[in-house]
Amino acid sequence: MMQNAADNAATLSQAAPVLRIGAVDKYFGATQVLQNCTLDVGDGEIVTLLGPSGCGKTTLLRCIAGFWDADAGRIEIDGQDMTPVPVNRRPVGVVFQSYALFPHLTVARNVGYALRMRGTPASEIEARVTEALRTVSLEGFESRYPAQLSGGQQQRVAIARVLVMQPRVLLLDEPFNALDAKLRSTMQVELRQLIKQLGITSIFVTHDQEEALTMSDRIAVMRGGRIEQAATPDEIFDRPVSSYVADFVGTSNFWDAQAEAGQVTLPDGQSVETGLSGKVRVMSRPHNLRLAPEEQGPWRGVVLFQRHIGPLIEYHVEMPDGATIKVAAIRQDRVRPVRDRAAVSIGIIDSAQVSVFAD
Amino acid sequence: MKALKRSSLTDIIGLGLIFGVAIFSLILLVAPSIIVLIISFDTRAYVSFPPEGFTLRWYGEVFQKSELVESMLNSLQVGLTVTVLCILLGVPTALACVRGRFRGTTALSVFVLVPHMVPGIVLGVAVLFAGALVGVSPSIWLQSVAITVFILAVMVRTVQSRLMRLDPALEEAAANLRATPFQSLRTVTFPLLMPAILAGSVFTFVEGIDNLSVAIFTHGFRDRPLPVELLALVQYTSTPLVAAVSGVQIVLAIVALIAVSLTIGLDNVND
Repeated sequence: MMQNAADNAATLSQAAPVLRIGAVDKYFGATQVLQNCTLDVGDGEIVTLLGPSGCGKTTLLRCIAGFWDADAGRIEIDGQDMTPVPVNRRPVGVVFQSYALFPHLTVARNVGYALRMRGTPASEIEARVTEALRTVSLEGFESRYPAQLSGGQQQRVAIARVLVMQPRVLLLDEPFNALDAKLRSTMQVELRQLIKQLGITSIFVTHDQEEALTMSDRIAVMRGGRIEQAATPDEIFDRPVSSYVADFVGTSNFWDAQAEAGQVTLPDGQSVETGLSGKVRVMSRPHNLRLAPEEQGPWRGVVLFQRHIGPLIEYHVEMPDGATIKVAAIRQDRVRPVRDRAAVSIGIIDSAQVSVFAD
Repeated sequence: MKALKRSSLTDIIGLGLIFGVAIFSLILLVAPSIIVLIISFDTRAYVSFPPEGFTLRWYGEVFQKSELVESMLNSLQVGLTVTVLCILLGVPTALACVRGRFRGTTALSVFVLVPHMVPGIVLGVAVLFAGALVGVSPSIWLQSVAITVFILAVMVRTVQSRLMRLDPALEEAAANLRATPFQSLRTVTFPLLMPAILAGSVFTFVEGIDNLSVAIFTHGFRDRPLPVELLALVQYTSTPLVAAVSGVQIVLAIVALIAVSLTIGLDNVND
């Protein structure tokens, strides 16, 4: 936590944030959909709004774009309050989930649209369209119509279409949803590299935690209209502030325990320090656990089955109380094959990597 | 293989049934027009079937009778006026019903439908009396307005259904890409609504030309539209002249359909 604060202070002191979201509230009728959302995004930073559907991530994105007005709070870009600025004058570019390419216009006219609306001279439009299409590697597609493009190409047109107006902030609303799984992971890496290379400050909305971990410099995990934790992917993964964040990002094992005198005793006999007292919830990632023969430890269970995930093996261990604990091991680190129904004991590799939550 | 064969047998019976019903419906729809066309070439001076000879005499008479030609031109004017009025009123109404952010959008879209649900005769009489109340006597203009009120719902509904299937993100994208609301309408919404507007225009134009029930009460004394003229013709003469007029209309309708299918395509009219 200390280190996180220091990191934030460092980014802030370097330069003023490009985008400041300050205490934004939003209501739909009587329902509050955004609650005191506060987030600063630095120059060239990619921040992901991550959460399940209905958590308010898209609402916040739409407030930044100006499609909706916040009911309270401020949204600033380069220090300028965006509240009175209409949608078509905000220095933001939106890549929609559906891409929203104009079906009656060619690729070139889609990409040149913003420049035409602004009254840019035709010769300049042509040059900038060509440049934008080169940026997304779509030269030669100028006279195609959106319906004649693949999903991945459509996405790149949508990106070129906003890049051409050189927005200060790029907003991406679940841009990979329409792509199939294999293309998705390639495009994620490519898009991150492209944005980083262009240095555009970006807000990226997704419900997919793996996508968030791939794409972001920082992740803001949202829950019920609030930002629960905003930190680097490492921090979110290794030091989640709540069981909600831990559960949403990555695989996790939870169990109940008692905290006494600033200590929680872990089931394998080790103990970990905590500021909490009374009933607590303890969380460990599967890769921080290891299997041992039964007689080696007090935390015992039976291997239910083994899941092979690429270079990892995930053991599902059934505990005497019926709970399942997941233990992950690198395939080549495995000493000897573990049989299903084998009695094992579980050990915690690094007790400092265990999280303790109040709920 | 057995299952496949059994299902293909029921498929054949089912397809046969559908095919039979389709052919029957087609005959039901087309037969009257064909009979009228056949009668229009008959040599006898009264309407009868089957014909006894072939002549183009009745078609010649259609274009020699000045009141018939005038009524055709009147109807053409009504058709065009109704279509222009329906576009000017119907497209904004459809936009308001679908994209409007005010209370009563549902009420509005129901309200537009009401005149179309009222029998044409009732609407015609109502417009006649309403006109008299404000000192407007029946004329080609009153008739055009009355038919516009009657048929506006068709334009609104056609444009509305297309609008509802447009991705709202398209208009948001236009706004994000620096378009003013007017620019967004001009460059994105209208071009995408064009097929629906054209389809609606076909319907309103045909209604403007063909409507009798509303027109009979609202048309100008000296500006009789074609349907009213035809009604009088049927009442006072029994020659195949009426059939020849219908023949002209049928040919015009076919020409219009071919024109539509060649320009925007019939599929666009249907949706």
